[in-house]
Amino acid sequence: MAVILSMTYQKKLGLPNFSSHSCSVSLTVEIPDVSVAAQESSKLYALLQTAVDAEIQQVGYMPDASTYGMKQNGSNDHSSSGNGAQRSQPMQNRNGDAWNCTDGQKSFIQRIVNENGLNKDDVEASAQQLFGLGVKALDKMQASQLIEELLEKTGKSKGNRRWSRQPARP
Amino acid sequence: MIAIVEPTEGAPAPQTADARVEQLKTMVSASRLSLYLSCRLKFFFRYVVEIQKPKTAALHVGSAVHSALKAWNKSRWRCEPLSLKRLHDTFMKAWTDQEQPVEWDGEEAAEQSTAWRLIEFYTRQANPTAKPDFVEVPVEADLTEHGLPVLIGILDLVQGGKIIDYKTSGQTPNPERVAHTNEVQTSIYSMLYRANTGKEETGVELHHLVKTKNPKVVITPLPPMTEQQQSRLFHLIEGYVEGLDRRDFLPSPGLQCATCDYLAECRAWH
Repeated sequence: MAVILSMTYQKKLGLPNFSSHSCSVSLTVEIPDVSVAAQESSKLYALLQTAVDAEIQQVGYMPDASTYGMKQNGSNDHSSSGNGAQRSQPMQNRNGDAWNCTDGQKSFIQRIVNENGLNKDDVEASAQQLFGLGVKALDKMQASQLIEELLEKTGKSKGNRRWSRQPARP
Repeated sequence: MIAIVEPTEGAPAPQTADARVEQLKTMVSASRLSLYLSCRLKFFFRYVVEIQKPKTAALHVGSAVHSALKAWNKSRWRCEPLSLKRLHDTFMKAWTDQEQPVEWDGEEAAEQSTAWRLIEFYTRQANPTAKPDFVEVPVEADLTEHGLPVLIGILDLVQGGKIIDYKTSGQTPNPERVAHTNEVQTSIYSMLYRANTGKEETGVELHHLVKTKNPKVVITPLPPMTEQQQSRLFHLIEGYVEGLDRRDFLPSPGLQCATCDYLAECRAWH
């Protein structure tokens, strides 16, 4: 009676910038009987491992982590690089009134807009241009950067003293 | 223990030392923590008593270079190219904006030339099309759930999820040594980045702009902060808070005293 021996060898290796790649080779052979299964299996394993090791050394395309998936000319490339190096993902608000940043940042942005008579549509457009996101969808870091931008536009940026006037507690 | 020091003439009228210490316990930055770990008495002079000292030439060079690079990075972030002339104008404005007196020892022209050459060299060899994620962004992270104060800091540049910090230096840095000596700062930046983006940084890079005859840039790439480094940082912050609680402002005599601005005050301490 013919015996079918089937084996898959797979190896996954890490790459820079949280990338990884894997290679898998499968083989099915027919052996005369079970008595040679262990011996054949050992040979098969060595064969598959050699094959995978030879192939997996070819890393192939590696994106430039500093540019891949980054915003280009004002429009986001939202295709995921899968390497973890992309900037903040655009997070759409589930609730139209919810802000992703802290209450303190929200109040501060609103205060800058009101006190300086800024046009809310212009501020929204700035956020879209700089981050590809609406103001409410900005995370804490993006909100902080937008605040800096607004303060600079209104001539109120005082360098490195921001935290003294912007409590950003959640 | 609180240091007994006569206030320096001309120093701003401070709030009470106790009130200032209590305030310092609620917020910690990389520079505050590093200074406290380096010399508690110097920390006391700078942050508690707030004794002002003239700016050193090296510090002024660093500030001016930093300002110019900030403008350059902002222009890349806004996708609005900055001409060499405008970059030079920004640099000169930062250079002449000397809010504090600077101790030049007759070397201002030479220092200015060196600083500009550093900027020119750095911007020429860097990739001008790579768009930063964030530039000079002030952020904070509330660590109260860990029983620790609020962390504050400003990230010079984040690009591709990588935190980049600029340093100007008179000597070529040793990569292993700078990784260790800057670990408090890099760990704090990693904490800040994670707390404010919900993501892990892809790494940290220290960009040393070296003020040699021919300027050079030494980039030290570091991996993302490990759990061990985070734990180490938390222990150090805990030590900072406990030290302030105890009013522990003892001096740390050592080699660093040779260049300390507060040597006279330190010698008067008893």
